[in-house]
Amino acid sequence: MIRLENVTKIYGTETVAVRDASFDIPKSQFVFLVGPSGSGKSTLLRLINRQEQPERGDVWVAGRNINELPASRVPYLRRNMGNVFQDYKLLLNKTVFENVAFALEVIGKPRHVIERQVPMVLDLVGLADKQERFPEQLSGGEQQRVSIARAFVNRPLIMLADEPTGNLDPTTSEGIMSLLDEINQTGTTVVMATHDHRVVNAMRRRVIQLDRGVIVRDQERGVYE
Amino acid sequence: MFSRIGYALRETWASFRRNLTLTAAAVLTSAVSLLLVGTTFLIQRAFENLLVQWRGDVEMIVFVRSDASAEQVALVDSVLRASPTIIDVDNLRYLNKAESYEEAKRIFAGDPVTLSLLTPENIPTQFKVVPLSDDPLLVRSLSDQYRTLPGVEAVALAEDEFQVISTLSNFIRVVTLVMSLVLLVVAIGLIWNTIRTAMFARRREIEVMKLVGATNWFIRIPFMLEGLLQGLLGGVVSCGGLWVLNSAWTNGVAGFKPGTGISSLIVPNSYLTSVMLILLAIGALVGAVGSAIAATRFLDV
Repeated sequence: MIRLENVTKIYGTETVAVRDASFDIPKSQFVFLVGPSGSGKSTLLRLINRQEQPERGDVWVAGRNINELPASRVPYLRRNMGNVFQDYKLLLNKTVFENVAFALEVIGKPRHVIERQVPMVLDLVGLADKQERFPEQLSGGEQQRVSIARAFVNRPLIMLADEPTGNLDPTTSEGIMSLLDEINQTGTTVVMATHDHRVVNAMRRRVIQLDRGVIVRDQERGVYE
Repeated sequence: MFSRIGYALRETWASFRRNLTLTAAAVLTSAVSLLLVGTTFLIQRAFENLLVQWRGDVEMIVFVRSDASAEQVALVDSVLRASPTIIDVDNLRYLNKAESYEEAKRIFAGDPVTLSLLTPENIPTQFKVVPLSDDPLLVRSLSDQYRTLPGVEAVALAEDEFQVISTLSNFIRVVTLVMSLVLLVVAIGLIWNTIRTAMFARRREIEVMKLVGATNWFIRIPFMLEGLLQGLLGGVVSCGGLWVLNSAWTNGVAGFKPGTGISSLIVPNSYLTSVMLILLAIGALVGAVGSAIAATRFLDV
């Protein structure tokens, strides 16, 4: 589903964010990208959804070399991916329902599809009764659930999560992880960047560890160390 | 498709209200500059009415009485052609009664009393003379000679009539044109800035839109519509201003004595309408250009 071949990303002239990274993530896999801040985890995610392009190497998604994709096709690539962030990136002037609906609205989905899909996905994340609330009326965990709902409402092939539990307490994090696990069970490939030991150790999934932009470990059913 | 149009219109309207002060500034600036453009057109047209009979370097007009015989006209023609060193014979033009009447309709547009006295039958015909010589005295002495020919009613010299106005009109045209161009550029800049501000205010939304796979055009169009609307509104305001201005001018001109020449400085309504349409088009264009630059330039937020 996702394959990196000798990818190097340099910011500016000398800051090497990722050096010669290669890995292959098959469909429906759950993968943790771990490592300290600045080790290149976020850059790898940004390379996969083409917010960045590598200086060297190729990034393949769903059988296509996305670095050769013309800019006008990038939006269509992104419709196959859901993105979740540490800071949720919710729109504060929209309700929970509207935030999720927004993701469908802006890719031109008709009203009746929106009205069917949004309650369904809000039910899945456990927020069926809070559709009309605004983000500021929700707890951090609930806000992250909204953002997961928004990422998943279009049934993407891939889910990219950048520190999704970074702002949450351990109990709430557990809930978010079981939600991501549930989404993974539906066949969605999940790539999650984190430095949350507890989460990684509890899940026992594939772990790709980075250190200053270099992959130093790639292990099935790994722990954080 | 329908939901997309609805989305674009809703977003345009919401953003329009959010930035009311900036929007007002952009709309007013484009209105003022467009008003100036429109005024340039009208002034130009008014002077053209006045100068229509002197178009094409004509500096002398020999008027032939309406009851002159064909032989008398032929005589005037041959006398004129007898001085090929002073008169540009190739550019010598004769306007018959119908042509002269058409021209009179423009000259006396603001002077219906005089116009009503003229008919295609009683109007003098005319020879339009372009002199080769730059010597005004030479041309003047020729004109004295032509005045005595049988059938000639009068000889008019540009020098006596509208030379000053002609120069003045050129000067005014250049000044107003430059001023309106500068103001149009300012208007584009202001619309550009308004759109940039609107996009900055909504950078979070734009970021989310890009991440969930909205196309660039989908993101851009509401902003471009907003700019277009601002330019168009400026156009509407300037049309109103131009109408008021032209009405006041027309009323003022009506107060002058007929036959002073001032009375021909009015503009027909059909021309005013087409100028207004042009202003609306320029307004829309200014808005579209300003917002298109902003929307393309600042999409990477």
